[in-house]
Amino acid sequence: MTTMNMNRRDFLSRTAAVSGAMVLEFWLPPSRAKAAAVAAQPWYRGGSNDPEINAWLTIAPDDTVTIRVAQSEIGTGVFTACPMMIAEELQCDWSKVRAEYASANRNAREKAPTWTLPVPGDGQYDPAGGGEPVQLKGEDGVYRRMGIGSSGAVRESRYYLQQAGAEARERLLLAAAQEWGVSVADLVAKNSVITHTPTGRSTTYGNLAAKAAQLVLPDPSKIRIKTPDQFTLMGTEQKNLDVPLKVTGEATFGIDIRLPGMLYAAVKACPVWQGDVKSYDFSAIKHMPGVHSVVPLPAGPQMYSGGVAVVADSWWRARTALDAMPIQWDYGRYVNVSSADLYKECFASFEKPGKPLVNVGDIQAGFAKATKLIEATYQLPYLSHFCMEPGNATAMVSAERAELWCGDQVPDRALDQVSKLTGIPPENVYVHTTFVGGGFGGRGGWGTTGALQITQVLRIAQALNGRPVKLLWTREEDLRVGDSYRPAGVCTFRAALDPDGWPIAVHVRSTGDHEEKRGLVEMPYFTPNYRYELMRTAKFHVPWGPRRGTGASLNTFYMESFIDEMAHAAGRDSYQYRRELIARNPPPPGQGIGGFRFRDDWLKILDLAAKMSGWGTELPKGWARGIAVDDRRRPERRTGTVCAQVHTVSVSPQGKLRLHRVDVAFDEGFGFVNPLSVRKQIEGQIAFGYSDAMHQEVTIRDGRAVEGNFNDYPSSTTAEYPREVNIGFVKTNRWTEGVGEEAMSHVAPALANAVFKITGKRVRSLPLRHHDLSWG
Amino acid sequence: MALVLKINGVPHSVEVEPETPLLWVLRDTIGLTGTKFACGIAQCGACTVHVNGRPTRSCSFPVKAAAGTEITTIEGLSPDGTHPVQVAWKELDVPQCGYCQSGQIMSAVALLREKPNPTDDEIDVAMTNICRCGTYPRIRAAIHRAAGRKSANLGAR
Repeated sequence: MTTMNMNRRDFLSRTAAVSGAMVLEFWLPPSRAKAAAVAAQPWYRGGSNDPEINAWLTIAPDDTVTIRVAQSEIGTGVFTACPMMIAEELQCDWSKVRAEYASANRNAREKAPTWTLPVPGDGQYDPAGGGEPVQLKGEDGVYRRMGIGSSGAVRESRYYLQQAGAEARERLLLAAAQEWGVSVADLVAKNSVITHTPTGRSTTYGNLAAKAAQLVLPDPSKIRIKTPDQFTLMGTEQKNLDVPLKVTGEATFGIDIRLPGMLYAAVKACPVWQGDVKSYDFSAIKHMPGVHSVVPLPAGPQMYSGGVAVVADSWWRARTALDAMPIQWDYGRYVNVSSADLYKECFASFEKPGKPLVNVGDIQAGFAKATKLIEATYQLPYLSHFCMEPGNATAMVSAERAELWCGDQVPDRALDQVSKLTGIPPENVYVHTTFVGGGFGGRGGWGTTGALQITQVLRIAQALNGRPVKLLWTREEDLRVGDSYRPAGVCTFRAALDPDGWPIAVHVRSTGDHEEKRGLVEMPYFTPNYRYELMRTAKFHVPWGPRRGTGASLNTFYMESFIDEMAHAAGRDSYQYRRELIARNPPPPGQGIGGFRFRDDWLKILDLAAKMSGWGTELPKGWARGIAVDDRRRPERRTGTVCAQVHTVSVSPQGKLRLHRVDVAFDEGFGFVNPLSVRKQIEGQIAFGYSDAMHQEVTIRDGRAVEGNFNDYPSSTTAEYPREVNIGFVKTNRWTEGVGEEAMSHVAPALANAVFKITGKRVRSLPLRHHDLSWG
Repeated sequence: MALVLKINGVPHSVEVEPETPLLWVLRDTIGLTGTKFACGIAQCGACTVHVNGRPTRSCSFPVKAAAGTEITTIEGLSPDGTHPVQVAWKELDVPQCGYCQSGQIMSAVALLREKPNPTDDEIDVAMTNICRCGTYPRIRAAIHRAAGRKSANLGAR
């Protein structure tokens, strides 16, 4: 229980913070004997006397290793996977590992050690190599990449986390060598014990930590990190360290923060984006129970829509008063916009010339030779992230110091944001990262609306002169005003087939207010002539941002639906048709059409999914299998994660769809860090993708979002989840892209492809619940 | 208005408006933050607690109706996370983000008290709590595992 953790020293520290003093040293860590692997309040607290070997870890006299995790735990398992990568090299006893968040404040003050900067090996194809370092340009704070997103926690931080563990191990070895007057070459480090092989003499990491912390290694950049064949911890299934806290209610999320003297804020912003508050009447509510004050939140920098906050001594009172307060809105210029207008604009863009991004061969010549022509247009709606935990943030701002408690996906950027908005230098800003009740790309400052809850809470906290305040959105506020959506889109395909049904030319044009070209700039299915054009629309006022799957959540649906339509037009089996066209691509290392990267991995993975599912075996009437395959980031990255799925579906004659079984073949690369977390991520993406496919849509009417809560923006349930999900991993000879969103975008096309086989109805827009699937 | 609430066996006297949802009294007045807010309209189940043993969506349950009842929250299930359902949840590593899990567990405990060995169809009917991370297959497996333990004392206090 969160309140119980607020001991007297905490209270002192908070009080001191109000007057701007440095206070971190007041906090005492809990008694180590009782310490769980992760504290209920997981953020960095300082105050430990345990020797720090390097910025990532401390080792206590009893061998407890505390590892700092730079990335936010939104449910993807980083609180376990990141420590595993360090512990692998440290060669410590995994049962003695604790995890806590790395300090964003320290990251702002301290530069990365130079030995963490060069990427070892030759990157992608070298087992001893780094992941993909391009993303880390400019991220040179001590903890490098602090944002969680783009499935990159392992891809982009593995090599320097391994280095950090290895550097600490080498220091411990050097400390033992110096203490015993022996050579490091005669020492072995294993399970938190260092043994001198010739004599059998041994000691523990805990005994050596203080000395190791003082040593300087001559050249840490010379240390070779382990290759996958040398891993003993990475690649094993480890239970997640934060799980015990999450079955007792102890895990502290942003919404759970309680501070002495804290006030609560409820907020309403103009429901029409880019609108503002015209007026409000605080006098009407100021006598209501517990009401403290009102804080205007006018539109402006980082405030996409203007609003107003009511502050009270409890959130329920704040919310009740806010609901009772008369507010006049200035809806602004977009108040008449509806979804129909936006789609109309998308379709109108097809009448104008587009921006050709790919033009291979001569599609006109190809179309001239067509035996059969097929065309299809697909349309997808805006989607909300719809995290279980509604947006919230707690802040305390004095003249010299700012503190923020928040479950944000990008704590280092959150810190910059606080600094910029308050004018307080970064070294005096403390961002305490909490557990995060879902992220999916939406709990950080990446979207149009920025990290709006942070901007809002800072304005409110500044008005309260050092008193802490917790801002919390209602569900409706979160969906309608706080979010930045997966953009809507329209895509049209035209294909020319030869007499055997194989493509001669394919012409793809996609549009929407945000460019989502990934996945369409290359066709995984061989065709001699291919043209892809991006069509331009005006910029819509609806906020967009990255959402789980990013461009693939649109483009995989388009491509994997259309290839099924092509297979049908060709009169061929949808798995075999895909297989043949992938195989027709010349092998790597060529690029684009005629040189399809990871071609053979695609074939292996597609074959496995088909085999696992019993593809081709008989099913009852009204049942069918739908297939989809993709690599989410192709072809922009050197990395890849290929995934193929077969969904076994039934549709009743009345049109009721049921997903019975999913078979997933998934790219393992050289290997995973924690295969248990990978399985959980894939299982979860089936449910997430099903919600997208079956239920979810944000509709725009009168310039604002229509849907607001679970009643009109439904999410998939236990009852809808397939009773059977089989996951097969396929080793490929490279590092992979990631696991957080690589199995999600297949769900919608696989379902739609199965629906077509059963009903003869080709679904070209989502969600499926809007379609009449009855048949027979 | 002063109300006395018996929560996890302990009486608490609270001064709140009688229409305040029980959820906010638990979270903000008493400080039991394990019970979560997510929808506010009794749809998603993140706020599920037991009122006289019945699973109840506390976000839409006025506190005045809770007076004189026995309320159990996730914090009252066991002192140390050893309730059979919690143990099964840990063994199967169910949570991802974890936000909905208090509500999921409270619903599962109530289900198992009603039906000590539920079928999959019974799980489908009873477990209407939403999980955006999609931990559903592990929730189902954990319920079966908890049910399979003969020694299980599945009743909350």
